[in-house]
Amino acid sequence: MRLEMGHIYIRDIQFAAESKIADGVLYVSEEALKAVVLEDEKLKSVSFDIAKPGESVRITPVKDVIEPRVKVEGRGGQFPGVIAKVDTVGEGKTYALKGMAVVTAGKIVGFQEGIIDMTGPGADYTPFSQTLNLVMVAEPVEGLKQHDYEAAVRFAGFRVAVYVGELARELTPDEVKVYETPTMMEGLKLYPDLPRVAYVQMLQSQGLLHDTYVYGVDAKKILPTILNPTETMDGAIVSGNCVSACDKNPTYVHQNNPVVEDLFAQHGKTLNFVCQIITNENVYLADKMRSSDWTAKICKMLDLDGVIVSQEGFGNPDTDLIMNCKKIEAEGVKTVIITDEYAGRDGKSQSLADADVAANAVVTGGNANEVVILPKLDKVIGTLDYVNKIAGASEDTLRPDGSLEVELQVITGATNETGFLKLSAR
Amino acid sequence: MGKIKVVHYINQFFANIGGEEKADYPAELRKGEFVGPGMALNQAFGDEAEIIATIICGDSYFNENIETTKAQILEWVKELAPDVFIAGPAFNAGRYGVACGTMAAAVKEELGIPALTGMYEENPGADMFKNNVYMIATKNSAAGMRDAVKKIAPLALKLAKGEKIGASCEEGYLPNGVRVNFFEEKRGSERAVDMLIKKLAGKPFVTEYPMPDFDRVEPNPAVKDLAHTKVALVTSGGIVPKGNPDHIESSSASHYGEYDITGVMNLDEATYETAHGGYDPVYANADADRVLPVDVMRDLEKEGVIGELHTKFYTTVGNGTAVASAKAFAAEYAQKLVADGVGAVILTST
Amino acid sequence: MCIVPFFITLAQERNGAMREKYYILTNNPMVAGKLSEDHKVVFMELSFEEILKEARSRIHSGQSLLTHPLSGSVKPNETPYKSLLIGEAKPTTEELAFTLELIETAIAACGKFRAKGDKYAQDFQLIDYTLIKSAVESADMGI
Repeated sequence: MRLEMGHIYIRDIQFAAESKIADGVLYVSEEALKAVVLEDEKLKSVSFDIAKPGESVRITPVKDVIEPRVKVEGRGGQFPGVIAKVDTVGEGKTYALKGMAVVTAGKIVGFQEGIIDMTGPGADYTPFSQTLNLVMVAEPVEGLKQHDYEAAVRFAGFRVAVYVGELARELTPDEVKVYETPTMMEGLKLYPDLPRVAYVQMLQSQGLLHDTYVYGVDAKKILPTILNPTETMDGAIVSGNCVSACDKNPTYVHQNNPVVEDLFAQHGKTLNFVCQIITNENVYLADKMRSSDWTAKICKMLDLDGVIVSQEGFGNPDTDLIMNCKKIEAEGVKTVIITDEYAGRDGKSQSLADADVAANAVVTGGNANEVVILPKLDKVIGTLDYVNKIAGASEDTLRPDGSLEVELQVITGATNETGFLKLSAR
Repeated sequence: MGKIKVVHYINQFFANIGGEEKADYPAELRKGEFVGPGMALNQAFGDEAEIIATIICGDSYFNENIETTKAQILEWVKELAPDVFIAGPAFNAGRYGVACGTMAAAVKEELGIPALTGMYEENPGADMFKNNVYMIATKNSAAGMRDAVKKIAPLALKLAKGEKIGASCEEGYLPNGVRVNFFEEKRGSERAVDMLIKKLAGKPFVTEYPMPDFDRVEPNPAVKDLAHTKVALVTSGGIVPKGNPDHIESSSASHYGEYDITGVMNLDEATYETAHGGYDPVYANADADRVLPVDVMRDLEKEGVIGELHTKFYTTVGNGTAVASAKAFAAEYAQKLVADGVGAVILTST
Repeated sequence: MCIVPFFITLAQERNGAMREKYYILTNNPMVAGKLSEDHKVVFMELSFEEILKEARSRIHSGQSLLTHPLSGSVKPNETPYKSLLIGEAKPTTEELAFTLELIETAIAACGKFRAKGDKYAQDFQLIDYTLIKSAVESADMGI
């Protein structure tokens, strides 16, 4: 499967009467955006705002972050099974608006996550301090149940991203990258001497605010399976997952999966990037057994030499991670696992809820319990009311001078477990 | 604002006094002097710091007179009041490593003066002290002196100035059980790909999170016929005959006790007590069966649930006792248990 | 903590037995309210850590733990609510070793996170409810 990704660099976003992209500037009509969101009658109202890198702006509570893209050639459209109709995606041509993101914010439940600071020390810990953010805060109609509200906001975010992405359809990309995954036989012929490597991606799948969707299917319901890595570039995997802010994957991360990028960079040179394998992280122990057995089985059936395994979330996924690692290693397939740590505020507690000697090659996204002081910023998009209830914050989080004393846990993407950032620990 | 004051501890070899034959050299304070590797350290400090005194001690002398020597050195250091204390580096010399670790930790913990040392990770002193005091990772011989000084000097200056200390791989110290965040050059996914390529090629790589070492013991299969099995009681709860005749220490036990309980149906206040210093002894002293359940075992014996209770029990104090010691005790008395026909052991702890 | 190699599914020992009989152990009134009509619910008004210890006692006395005690990414103590599925059948030695480890680690993890007030009790109850509901759906589906 072959995909040409066209990158269009966005250097500014402005509200305007008419929506269009010209000279790298996204002009967007608030009216039009509102109409797109309020298509869903479960949403009562919505407000939009723009946050730019370097501004003294804090966005909280953040729900999802999405990159606008559009399919210009080939099967399907963005977010198959969710926005676009079900169809196999990942080939042809897709354009992405780089340097910007759509951010959904607002309270679903009282303890909603996370924080994006566009400047200051907090900005170092999130990739989204570097993007121009089109932020939307949507209010539900009276009496709307939380899971309906969550779904409504989730879908509205995707619709907005699709609307904005569509504006790029006729443009010429600033840069084009080509990603190609050969079939099994083609790959064996092309790269007979290169190690066969796959990416095992664990998806959070546990309940409200902890869900992920694959072509629209709830990941709780899937059996581990394989994908062409380029499918995720067209939104085949989307997030319904907000907890916890530091180590859950917003849709943006699924679209821009760094393990996929970095494996492609070595594909055909030092390794044969065979495929992506996805699995889940259910609460029920027998499900964990089944999924890890299955994942190891796939690795063996595909005659892989090695895999990179990334996880998502805290606590019980550590069990899945270690199960996957052990069982895959037992099949003679070498593993490198990517995780983050909860080593306590003093860094002395045991970082993972599980461990095994087979997990001898670990990359870490850092200790999520590290405390940072986020200074008071001039503007807040969303609301500060709920900051104390975000995972990682505490009763004394909001200090009298307006600064926040919080753990890295609350910052969106801070300890991302697909290795999106450079934060680490020793 | 004068220069940062440093006190340096070295052994007889690095002081050019002599080799093994001079290891009994008693502790000596040389004020106003730097000796041996102190010169390299001073150079590395530049204008920022200087060694105001060097303390020299033979490795045998130190290890055979730990308490008194430690106390003496602490007194000297207290009087000198340096901004930072450096011991070694000891490379792979075991007794020297233990001496360096002991002194650096003591200066830090008892005098509250920032301290550090350096040695090779396999030096016995490393495991003993790396979690107590910053320990620069060095090569395994004095050929690594330049490399060691290059790391010791900057860390010493940071400690003296009270600056924030970074992650172990940034500053060069042995991982000490405290995870510290820092920013790498490359993002995590790239580091993962690099690591996998190395692992697949059989090349060495360094994991970013060493899995904790659990030293598991596989459980034995279940006892087949308990009703005909001799069962022994063993405890780390420190139960001993009243008066603690063998003086088992209340912490960091250096030995275990073996005691006969032939005809003893029940432990009581008059005959048994606890030596363990890690829990409130009141209830164990009042009735030691609470920790070593002889009374219940006698009942089970009478009822035929177990074949018989072994005539001896083994005891030590688990409080602060090194894993290596505990292992060594058990290896010894396990042989005796087997020789005595014991088929199962109930191990109680606190 | 290391998991003992565990290649036997929890179902294997129950050859031919149909659904694993289980109940929901919980300190969450919403779970009790919504699930007791069709399921067996044991509701106890205990703290987060206490309910984990209660689960541990039941495992010690011969029952099986069917869900992971650290479900969800809302941290222990940050939410006061926890529900677990406990199976009435006796676990195998391997299952016992595995699940005891899980519960002990979970109890130990409570120390890493600070307790919060209960201003958002309803929301925490809801999240815990959806987490256990996902497990109930899995449990009701197969063996």
